[in-house]
Amino acid sequence: MKILLIEDDHVIAEHIIKGMKEAGYSTEHASDGFSGVSLALTESYDVAIVDLMLPKLDGLSIIDLIRDKKINLPIIILSAKRSVDERICGLQHGGDDYLTKPFSFSELLARVKALLRRASNVVEPTSMIYQDLELDLLARTVSRAGKKVELQPKEFSLLEYLLRNQGHIVSKTMIMERVWDYHFDPGTNVVEARVSKLREKIDKEFDTQLIHTVRGLGYVLKQAD
Amino acid sequence: MFLSKLIRAPKTLAARLTFWYSSAFYLLLAISLVGMYFAISAIFEGRMEKDLTEDIEEFQTLYQEHGLDRVLFEINQEIMHEDPEHFFIHLFNSQGDSLLHSDLKSWRQLPSANYLLSTFSQQKENINLEKNAHADEDLESYTAYGKISEDYIVHTGESNQEEQEVLEILKIVSATIFCIIIPLGVLIGWLTARKAVSGIKAVSAAAADIEQGIFDRQVSVNAKGDEIDELANTFNAMAGRINTLIEEMREMTDNIAHDLRSPLARIRAISESTLSSQIDSNSCHKAASDTLEECDRLLQMINMTLDVAEAEADVRECKVDIIDLSYLTEDACELFSPVAEHKDITLSTHISGLCTVKGNKHNLQRMLTNLIDNALKYTPEKGEVIVELENQNSNAIIKVADTGIGIPEPERNRVFDRFYRCDQSRTQEGCGLGLCYSRAVARSHGGDIKLKTALNRSSVFEVSLPLSR
Repeated sequence: MKILLIEDDHVIAEHIIKGMKEAGYSTEHASDGFSGVSLALTESYDVAIVDLMLPKLDGLSIIDLIRDKKINLPIIILSAKRSVDERICGLQHGGDDYLTKPFSFSELLARVKALLRRASNVVEPTSMIYQDLELDLLARTVSRAGKKVELQPKEFSLLEYLLRNQGHIVSKTMIMERVWDYHFDPGTNVVEARVSKLREKIDKEFDTQLIHTVRGLGYVLKQAD
Repeated sequence: MFLSKLIRAPKTLAARLTFWYSSAFYLLLAISLVGMYFAISAIFEGRMEKDLTEDIEEFQTLYQEHGLDRVLFEINQEIMHEDPEHFFIHLFNSQGDSLLHSDLKSWRQLPSANYLLSTFSQQKENINLEKNAHADEDLESYTAYGKISEDYIVHTGESNQEEQEVLEILKIVSATIFCIIIPLGVLIGWLTARKAVSGIKAVSAAAADIEQGIFDRQVSVNAKGDEIDELANTFNAMAGRINTLIEEMREMTDNIAHDLRSPLARIRAISESTLSSQIDSNSCHKAASDTLEECDRLLQMINMTLDVAEAEADVRECKVDIIDLSYLTEDACELFSPVAEHKDITLSTHISGLCTVKGNKHNLQRMLTNLIDNALKYTPEKGEVIVELENQNSNAIIKVADTGIGIPEPERNRVFDRFYRCDQSRTQEGCGLGLCYSRAVARSHGGDIKLKTALNRSSVFEVSLPLSR
């Protein structure tokens, strides 16, 4: 897996390159818009991380150029601008995801992985299975160890999202964005409360806990700690 | 010093006012004096012509009643009493023969008797008036001639010397008035203008002071209620507003500094204690995640500060849609239902009527969740939070009522202020910006938010938003 990083802040770039290397990805780095866009148009990458404020050529123009050439490269926009309008603008230009600075690396990694998975899973599954947990996406039913679990619609969406990212951490922000379409932190412990409710229904009666909290980062659906 | 002031003077408003007003005043004065002069001379002229006509008519009466001798007697009387230089009288018969006349030395330009006789054949008038030149070039003579009978004709006239003298005096008086009024008018004008613009000067002095950093400067108002007072009042209101804003900003900066300091202090303490203690991977891990949490809190605070500023900007600057508030409210309540359940709080929603507003979904969503989050935060276990949405005379009213700790009366007005936190709320997590943000959003949508109290409820936040048409 190859990642293109177009970012002019060297500290942030190094941080990302180091983290991506540890996660098993190789990263190519361009520190200005021109070199970034020429790399994007000549080489092939699996995902691009593009900062908006760049010397020589800004991020939105880079995305425009890439999309004009019909290159189907998943793009994550990095920006210090954090208003919803900026986000919408970025996504309209053809970005696939948007992350505001400062961000946690795990958040970025989780989003990169989600994009890569989305790019590889072209066919939408109709059901998802993880261990003894089964999710029927058409009937919108859930069962664990063959026993039906009653879930509210949002709980179902939350579980579906966790299951799609099984084994990978998803942050509270990602959950809020994907499950509720809230692009801000709505309050003290909305996600915690919802996850604990879900956990009660999914995990309580079972020995193996599937939903885990990763302190300061988010949640993960996996078998063991 | 004085000279330089004088050179600078034409640029000042007072000088220009004086110049234009006195110019207009002098022009009008001159026009009225000239007008008066001509009116008076016209009156004089009329009066002289009338005198001469009456004179001849008198002779006609005398002749008819008493005969020629009496006319001759009267003419002689007049010749004896009048100055020949300025008066003449001439009696001649229809053949042009002179019967009696005064000294005609000064009246040589007069037409001859024969010429006058010839004019009678051309016109029907009995008495004819003429204006002639006079020996004295400054004067004019007014003459009249008429038949007192078929055989005798009287020709008489006088100069306008007396009238000319009166007009001469009038000219002198006018000139004197002009000479006195010019400097006096300029002086009075200048003083009045100075006095009038002195209020403006006071305002500009105050503005200069404000520029120097004296923000609590006010202009004294004379309480006359004139334009200058109006200006001073407006200026004071503006200066007061700026001062309040600066005070608020100062307070806000202090608050930000203070509120930022606490998480920073915690981060510092975490790092310090990790460094000074036995380093093992567990404590390192804990320190790092504690630091992350504190960083997130800091970030949230900074973001919220920016969001408030953004929301205070006009709503037109961001994306606007037609928003169904009932959907938004239901969604927000659904979001918080596990939190309420967790605290054993009854969270109920009452929605009546269709409520669509024109606005920014994200901001409205956030305002709602802020209010609900607050209500849940400050309501103790087993309490109740009710969210109501109703359609009230072209306004959508959202009420969030709780049975929480309540807000003491004196603090009610301040809860919407930036960083304001009631003493009782200090223990709760938060940055004191939520309500400020909510108000900014409500106002930017053309609505407002109020804190009300209701029976059995501690606080009711009521948002009103104008419905879209």
